[in-house]
Amino acid sequence: LKDLLTKINNTATQKFGAKYAEARAQKLYKTSLTLKEERVEAAKQGIENGVAIRVLVNGAWGFASVGSFDDAILEGAVSDACKMAELASARLKMPIKLADAKGINDRVLSKPKKNPADILMEEKIKTALAVNKASLGFDNRIKSCSMDYFDLTGTSTFVNSEGTCIEQDKLYVWARITASALSGGVFTFSREEIGSTAGYELFDTQVPDVLGVKVAKLAIEQLDAKSPKGGKFPVVLGPNVVGVFVHEAFGHLAEADLALSGGVLANNLGKKIGSDLVTFYDDGTIEGAFGAFKYDDEGVPSHKTLLIKDGVVSGLMHNRETAQKFKAQPTGNARAEDFRVEPIIRMRCTYMAPREQSPEELIKGVKSGYYFKSFRGGQANLDGTFQVGIQEGYEIVKGELGAAVRNASISGSTLETLHKVDGVGKDFMLDPGRCGKGQTAFISDGGPHIRISEVVVGGSA
Amino acid sequence: VAVLEKNILISLAENAVKAALKEGAQDAEAYVYEGQASNIGIELGQISKTNRIIDRGLGIRVAANKAIGFAYTNIVEDPKAIEKAVSSALSAARASKPDADWNGLPQKKPYDVTHKTFDKKILALSSEDLVNTAATMLDAAGQVDKRVFPIEGGVGSACIANAIANSNGVTGFDRGTIIECSVATLAKEGNSVTPVCFEFNAGRTYNLDPSWIGREAAKLAVSALKTKSVETKSGKVILTQFALQDLLSYTLINSIRADSIQRDQSPFKGKLGEKVASENLTIYDDGLFTGGLRTWAFDGEGVPHQKTPVIEKGILKNFLYDNYSAKKDGKESTGNASRAGYLSTPGIDTTNFHIIPGNKSSDEMLSEVNDGLIVYYLQGAHSSNPVSGEFSVVATPAWKIKNGEITHCSRGVMLAGNIFELLKNISVVGANERQMGQLISPWIQVENVRVIGQ
Repeated sequence: LKDLLTKINNTATQKFGAKYAEARAQKLYKTSLTLKEERVEAAKQGIENGVAIRVLVNGAWGFASVGSFDDAILEGAVSDACKMAELASARLKMPIKLADAKGINDRVLSKPKKNPADILMEEKIKTALAVNKASLGFDNRIKSCSMDYFDLTGTSTFVNSEGTCIEQDKLYVWARITASALSGGVFTFSREEIGSTAGYELFDTQVPDVLGVKVAKLAIEQLDAKSPKGGKFPVVLGPNVVGVFVHEAFGHLAEADLALSGGVLANNLGKKIGSDLVTFYDDGTIEGAFGAFKYDDEGVPSHKTLLIKDGVVSGLMHNRETAQKFKAQPTGNARAEDFRVEPIIRMRCTYMAPREQSPEELIKGVKSGYYFKSFRGGQANLDGTFQVGIQEGYEIVKGELGAAVRNASISGSTLETLHKVDGVGKDFMLDPGRCGKGQTAFISDGGPHIRISEVVVGGSA
Repeated sequence: VAVLEKNILISLAENAVKAALKEGAQDAEAYVYEGQASNIGIELGQISKTNRIIDRGLGIRVAANKAIGFAYTNIVEDPKAIEKAVSSALSAARASKPDADWNGLPQKKPYDVTHKTFDKKILALSSEDLVNTAATMLDAAGQVDKRVFPIEGGVGSACIANAIANSNGVTGFDRGTIIECSVATLAKEGNSVTPVCFEFNAGRTYNLDPSWIGREAAKLAVSALKTKSVETKSGKVILTQFALQDLLSYTLINSIRADSIQRDQSPFKGKLGEKVASENLTIYDDGLFTGGLRTWAFDGEGVPHQKTPVIEKGILKNFLYDNYSAKKDGKESTGNASRAGYLSTPGIDTTNFHIIPGNKSSDEMLSEVNDGLIVYYLQGAHSSNPVSGEFSVVATPAWKIKNGEITHCSRGVMLAGNIFELLKNISVVGANERQMGQLISPWIQVENVRVIGQ
């Protein structure tokens, strides 16, 4: 296979004059399941083989993807990619260049304690059933529950025209659990995601019965919750919400491609944009974390990247193209969902560093505001406006937790809000998630509890 | 790579079904997909990337003792890989639990002819044609204003074919084309950056106006540069198609799916025949809409597409069914089984979700608003509560309307409420219909929307 990929790269560079060429061959095995109310909707297994070819011709990118390892088909694909790139290059104002990357030869093996590929379908169904049963049995007001399970194993072989050759195992285990409750005409909904790149041993720590109850409880608690008041309030955010806040409000703006697109961070490198308490990382090296890996899809080693330190913007997340533009080092953030798509800059495990306060102290400091504990969705915009939807939240009255609130969201301008972080906890938690940017990437995010002195709360009351 | 012929795709599906029956499946269904796409991409203000993607595969669904298994492969040229998929599907089914509600696969029914879903002109487009179209769009955006920066976009064409066969004798084949042209821009002045403004054309036949796309996206961005805040209150809001598509797909559309009704996940349960929306709202799910982005002869289970009334003059008429949920209710599928290519089993979704237009032009709608907002894009619609329909989203941005004129842009405005209340408060349905993903709709004006200003 490596020889075949090398041959394809040679065709690009020798026959079509490509300055750079890379080929990424993947063999992927996926298992998935959906259970609804203890009913198995379908047990699924799939195999995908394919090659992604990317070439740089006259400073323009050409990309081709085919679901085949056939020599003739790959030769056709590389020819398509080179010809299209050459055509597109006619209109280029600024030809694309790549930052230097060290040639690497490596074989990366995944070392699961329990390889999901070796776990029988029956066992996976049993686990999902246990989660479902626990949710449904928790309270008779729970009307529906579901568990989506997914695992992926396989190998990605990356060869480029600069001598890099990496064969890297891929392993993901993921599940999403949802529940809905109905009582007195009030509908509620809750969800939780778990995930790991370590192995099926994920379910040794995420015990199915406990998980099922956790999600059901969330839906039941919301039944008696009220709508929050809309307006500006001080808030305390739990690690689960802080993670999404870091990811949406700051992380996307620190993706160098979006910074170059005009995002508000481009002009703020080296400047103070947040309180002294604000330090963020994007770290691809946390073993077993959802979103961690050794090499990215450009063959660059994954780094622990400091994004903001004590409120000062310290770095961005790069691929080789943006690193060249910023005269920076590539950080290993170029990721492609699979062989059907090209690598783009994606986050890995993005989090806020903990400080000294206890979560209780943070809550005590709020006279009238909200405590938001877990999220439901979030989204960023390049102008620096963020939105995070809240799944689980409570009022804070005179420093004490009060009544539950449902369907709140928070929004604001990132550059203003980071200055308003006035308390950061000493606790820490990472949660797995998925991020959409045209492609889906598996990521983690998290941090400690934090307090923000003022943010807009979207509520209908 | 040559496009696979109709008879090859059909026989791949039929042979997989035969093999599954031979291996002991009670029911079997095979779905074959082939997509070939070319795209010219704009990044950071210039045309700098291209891609060509060929994706094909086969998915097979089987029932063994009422337990369902599914497997797929993207290696269709190798009979062994297909055999392996068939046996994987059966082994998955045998590992699974019987489903007492499983009542077989759909029966054979005749298909209607679809219109304007295949255009040879799209197939004949060269990469050069696509590059030229992208360049025209970029130039048009650049000419509007120097402060505008086209950040991303592109021009893409695709040809998609799918074939289906099942053990009840269903056999179907359909081929279609799609062309898309889009640009996302923002405007910058000093330290002020606008939200991303987006415009596009997308259709099944070749009918693009790249200059218009570039110009409109740029004009919107410029108009979002100067901002003023708005006050927190409840008032009139005009939702454009961008905002509607985002909001409806995470709220209303969940609540009309038959599986949501059956699983107690919809406030519409038991409300067929009741008034659930303002009288001026009529919605059809129309899988045969001429030139619709989701118009095909049949759905993901080989059931003919049809036109289903969902809401007529505010009265709830029907839910959307696939074969499984229909059999459970003793009904017929409405042809709403949707598939993500060959990679998954079918699930219920809309085809073309058509909100029937009224008579007021966009100018008339604006001129009749004394005090309100018009919202183009939303941020955070996916964080809505999919069951209760409650939402709390940011308008990115909103424009203030005063005495019939758009006066200024406002950023960070939040809208909060409940989709089921919103439906009852629709006061005007416009005439300016356009297609956006699964939605075909005009602008809609809603009264009494909770607006939270900065």
